[in-house]
Amino acid sequence: MAETAGSSVKARSKQALQDDFLRKAVKFTTERLKNGKRKATEEHGNWEEWRERGRQIRLHTIAHLDYYLNLFADNARKAGAQVYFARDAAEAAVITREIVREKQARSVVKSKSMVTEELHINHVLEEMDVAAIETDLGEYIIQLAHEPPSHIIIPAIHKNKQQIAEVLSEVAGERLEPDTQVLAGFVRRKLREQFLAAEIGMTGCNFAIAETGSIVIFENEGNARMCSTLPKTQITFMGMERIIPSFEDLEVMATLLPRSATGQKLTAYMSAITGPRRTADGDGPEELHIIIIDNGRSRQLGDPDFQELLNCIRCGACLNVCPVYRHIGGHSYGSVYSGPIGAVLTPALMEDPSEWQDIAYASSLCGACWEACPVKIPLHDMLVYLRNRKVESGTTPTAEQVMFKGFNYMMSDHRRMERFLRLGKVGQKFVARDGYIRIKGPLKGWTNYRDLPEIPKQSFRDRWKELQVEIAQQPRPKTMIQDIEQRMRKVLEERSKGGGSGGGHQE
Amino acid sequence: MADTRNKQGSGKARAIYASKERQDEWMQAIADRLGRPRITEMPQHPFRGAPDFWRAYDLQQEERINLFMNNWTNLGGHAFRMSSMEEVGRFLLDFVRETGAQKLLMQRQPELMGLGLAEALHDVECTVWDSSAEEMIDEAAQADIGVVVVDHAAAYTGTIVVLSSPDKGRSTSLLPRALVAVVPASAIEASLGPILKGLDARPKDQLPAGVHFITGPSRSSDIENDLTIGVHGPGIVYALVVG
Ligand code: SF4
Repeated sequence: MAETAGSSVKARSKQALQDDFLRKAVKFTTERLKNGKRKATEEHGNWEEWRERGRQIRLHTIAHLDYYLNLFADNARKAGAQVYFARDAAEAAVITREIVREKQARSVVKSKSMVTEELHINHVLEEMDVAAIETDLGEYIIQLAHEPPSHIIIPAIHKNKQQIAEVLSEVAGERLEPDTQVLAGFVRRKLREQFLAAEIGMTGCNFAIAETGSIVIFENEGNARMCSTLPKTQITFMGMERIIPSFEDLEVMATLLPRSATGQKLTAYMSAITGPRRTADGDGPEELHIIIIDNGRSRQLGDPDFQELLNCIRCGACLNVCPVYRHIGGHSYGSVYSGPIGAVLTPALMEDPSEWQDIAYASSLCGACWEACPVKIPLHDMLVYLRNRKVESGTTPTAEQVMFKGFNYMMSDHRRMERFLRLGKVGQKFVARDGYIRIKGPLKGWTNYRDLPEIPKQSFRDRWKELQVEIAQQPRPKTMIQDIEQRMRKVLEERSKGGGSGGGHQE
Repeated sequence: MADTRNKQGSGKARAIYASKERQDEWMQAIADRLGRPRITEMPQHPFRGAPDFWRAYDLQQEERINLFMNNWTNLGGHAFRMSSMEEVGRFLLDFVRETGAQKLLMQRQPELMGLGLAEALHDVECTVWDSSAEEMIDEAAQADIGVVVVDHAAAYTGTIVVLSSPDKGRSTSLLPRALVAVVPASAIEASLGPILKGLDARPKDQLPAGVHFITGPSRSSDIENDLTIGVHGPGIVYALVVG
């Protein structure tokens, strides 16, 4: 992480904002995922009941994590798996290295796993001169391009077809047409060889079932099945919080996760793997190693503000609805986990969070992430806590501290915040150039990331008088920059005369 | 933990991370953070499984069949209703002939072996899963078509479920380009619930190593969000509902 921690979110997002394609691609994709999710959840019905159930199951499991994690480890061992507990990346590396050495592995095939990213396992393998091959189509592409993933679900979201064709052509040694079928077909053939040759397969783990010791993997391509079927040795990395009690509980997670992630009723593959192959089986790994990772997670246990972070099922729904993420893309967060969840999780996992707290500012606090979250994690509240803690610990630059006092005023009440966001929408019309808000003064860093959510004009009109009264009555937050405020006032005046932009859509 | 690396001489250095002591230490640390003594008895879990309204969800068999077939088709798969295994056999013969498939791999399941495909298709290599054979994975990788009889199916999500065993390789439903899944009508449940509960109810030593829920063809949207099918697993998937 050292290589990215040095530069601030501000600097990184500046780069991202300049990349026009990235911005469009992120918007395009997140829009689709979001719509897919909406469709899938509406179609399914009773979404709120499922969400509440999912939240309860996660809360219950985390509240009894010592019992369930222990049960999982015992049962996984009974099924023949080897189970390890690794406190941090260094310990995970020791275990990994030893297994790799013992198997004399020359190549490792990997299916998508945020945890292995977090642990820099590829780096560990590289140092050993072992090829670590990412086999998820998107991950494979960005690995060849030497870039980190930019979205939990769609890691290569920032690359277009031409760029992908260039990258793959280099591997192919011939020019590949920028055609999805051609490119995917090439990857299929290429990776088949790798799957069959690799000594070790590495996977992540979406859920681990305590009562049976099974690991459960959701995926669409089939590469995780390959990694867990073909090589003789399988290593699975799992965060210590991935546990659920039973298969019965998996039905709830299987309802929430794919619908929230991609709008599917279920991913093409959901695999429950219990131990290595049975003695008489003809395929499947001979050895299954499960490495359970803490790496900062236990720090959230018992923390009233952040414990619910452990409920996260890594669906990416909060990214897709986040106006900031949609504007700046995943790389700007400079960490493995991006979007609202990344903004909270990254500092929460760190021993010295001050270094990372600036990403807590890369958020508009509009609450869309909370609404989208299938297990109702109050991410926007957590962002506020984080910012508060940052100010308290004195790591905030002075200008930000001043501005933050104003923020506190707004953040202390969600509805008030919402109102200001609505106001912001009006102000934005005047300050936005090329689609971005450009402001001088203490708010600069903050508003640079802020693209306000679509606000139905109707509801604004309904409420603008109320807003006006409120603004007149309440002490003005110091964060409001004078000239924006003036402009906003002017708009409001014009609006009251019946002018302003017409049309507008309703939701 | 610098000392752990020096233990290599006395066996595996990683043993320390897999030890009972380490496990206990972890669990105690979790309990400490949660501010209570360690829990070693199974806790009350009042929210186990799906919400109540969903437990009541059920369909008549015909409805299940229709919903399953609809969902499978919408996912990009092909679904046919057949009255008997003979019809399945005829379908497979036609499919192999018309596609010019060279190699077919099927699970060692009596329903499939009774079809007499090997005899009927002399110019096509017809392999039955054999867990004692050395090169089964390579066989599967070369097969054009994999044929399986599924253990379960769920109508609501359009899912088939295959369990691994010595007679049923995991590769058969994964490596060939095309997958033909025979789905006994009686194996179709309304939803995933009963299938998952069935896994909970199995004696622990009878859980198969691999339980695979397959919902349509292998797919990816990783290139510009364009849907591609068959990127790693089978892109052509048939569900033949029998009965
Ligand atoms: S915080 Fe919620 S919405 Fe975001 S990835 Fe986690 S579970 Fe999904």
